[in-house]
Amino acid sequence: MKAFFRFLYEIIGNPQPPADTPVYRDVVFPNIGLLNIGLSLGLAVIFYLLINRAMGVATFNKGRHWGLFLGLNALLAFGITIWQAHAQQVADHSYIYWLATWNAILSLAWFFIFSLLLRKASTNASTTPF
Amino acid sequence: MRNSTLISRLLPALGLSLLLLPGCYSRSDIKEEGGKAGTMTDAVISDNPETPTVAPEAAATAQPLQRVNVLLEVSGSMEGFMPKTAADGQNTQFQQRVAQFLSEVNRTPMVRQKSFFLLKEKPYTESYGTLSGTVRGGIRQPAKSTEVPAVLDTLMTRYYQPGTVNVLISDFIYSPKNAGAIPYIKTDITDALQRNGAQSDLAVSVYGFTSDFRGTYYPALVAAGKKTNCCDTEIPYYYWVIGPSDAVRQFDAALLTDETARQAHFGVTYPRPAYSVLDKFENKGSWYYGDDGASKRNADAYRVVAVSEASAQQPVEFVVGLNLQNLPAQYRELAYLQQNLQVQTVDTDAKLAGVTAATAQTKGSSGPQSRFTHFAKIRLTKVPPASRPLVLKLQNQRPAWVSQWTTKNDATPAAKTFALSSLLDGIQASVQAQPTIFELPLTLQPAK
Repeated sequence: MKAFFRFLYEIIGNPQPPADTPVYRDVVFPNIGLLNIGLSLGLAVIFYLLINRAMGVATFNKGRHWGLFLGLNALLAFGITIWQAHAQQVADHSYIYWLATWNAILSLAWFFIFSLLLRKASTNASTTPF
Repeated sequence: MRNSTLISRLLPALGLSLLLLPGCYSRSDIKEEGGKAGTMTDAVISDNPETPTVAPEAAATAQPLQRVNVLLEVSGSMEGFMPKTAADGQNTQFQQRVAQFLSEVNRTPMVRQKSFFLLKEKPYTESYGTLSGTVRGGIRQPAKSTEVPAVLDTLMTRYYQPGTVNVLISDFIYSPKNAGAIPYIKTDITDALQRNGAQSDLAVSVYGFTSDFRGTYYPALVAAGKKTNCCDTEIPYYYWVIGPSDAVRQFDAALLTDETARQAHFGVTYPRPAYSVLDKFENKGSWYYGDDGASKRNADAYRVVAVSEASAQQPVEFVVGLNLQNLPAQYRELAYLQQNLQVQTVDTDAKLAGVTAATAQTKGSSGPQSRFTHFAKIRLTKVPPASRPLVLKLQNQRPAWVSQWTTKNDATPAAKTFALSSLLDGIQASVQAQPTIFELPLTLQPAK
């Protein structure tokens, strides 16, 4: 698991400053990786199964509504990274923001994948986004 | 019906998210995984057959010593250190310091039993009061002469016991009966200290002081003749602390902490000082802690350096913090460390780039550097090919003052002692050889 997240987050390069490498690899990467997957899944479940199925809301199933969730997901992923980095007391470095941006991009991918998996289970939004 | 299928469909998704969340790592998880840091480096050093056994890091618990015997030489040559109180009430530095020392010994809780002796041709038991009185008020009946080897011999046969230290206070002017014995001073001392090689843990700490001197000066070379009304210069005197290694170390640490004293230690072994690599103190280049569980920041010590990149243009520099406060002042002296601290590695070009002492800034810092008294900076410009040992060791060198205080001819009184280095050579030969004071193993490895 650690190795997978390490691979995923070191696509953008090694953690900086180098002294904080063990903290990033052992703590920050697994944390933000798992939170990111959980968050994307949670938002997809809310969109497809809660709003567009259980609650039966008929007016929140367009592509722009899905886009709204996608954006919200990315914003939260960015925030989670910065919060985690500070919570683990790593040294301030612009790398934290690069990592947060990368995590936001990854969150888009996760949300998209979960959308493909969950949309068929939705009654009102089974064709969102396409 | 519809509702129940909805819930059954939702369940797997909810279940998955519930499973994912507790998987998050935190520092406390890592803490449990860690704790094994250092085992690897320990293994590295124990593989090395040359390495002498180093006492473990955990300092021996401070158990009080059984006994201390303080022996004060009262031959004629010592009279000048302990003159009768002058009219102006002035005393000598010897009187001041030795009276203070005797009082400290008498009061210390570190030793259970304290005995005091006046050393004439043989030791005579006296009370603390008498001995202190002799130091303050002068010697009543000076002994004729006491020969250093004979004294040491008596001491070793009668007073050398586990948990016991013997403190010999004397000028250590050794005058052999005939000049022909002078080349054999070293051998005589060794013979006296190790008659049958039975005292394998023998240790001797020598402390040198100087004092003003008001009396008759007897040089070692009798032919030169004694000098009355001596002297304008200061004359050296010494404490020799003789005993088993552990006892001497404890006694030194408790009672002989005066940093102004010249000192030399023979056969005393010290627990390995606390040390750690510091990743946020004057660090340079691309490296990080390679220890298991290095992400727990509050670990006591890190000993593995993982180097990701290093080149001549962008060298890696890391600092090893050392806590030397339990070593004698001689080994804490920055000049001594700068000269004798060495780095030994295999296959890497790691070099010692400097040694510094703690400053007010490092002591007040909130980082781990506040725990250390000295810092050794190590630089390397090549990534090690694989995991490689690096040992930071402090060479055991005889301090420079010994040769400065040694003279071959003491006819003219000076702050020098006749054949001092031969005396110390004799001690050196009778204790176990000890090439290093401490060896601190570290590991260099390429970043994984």
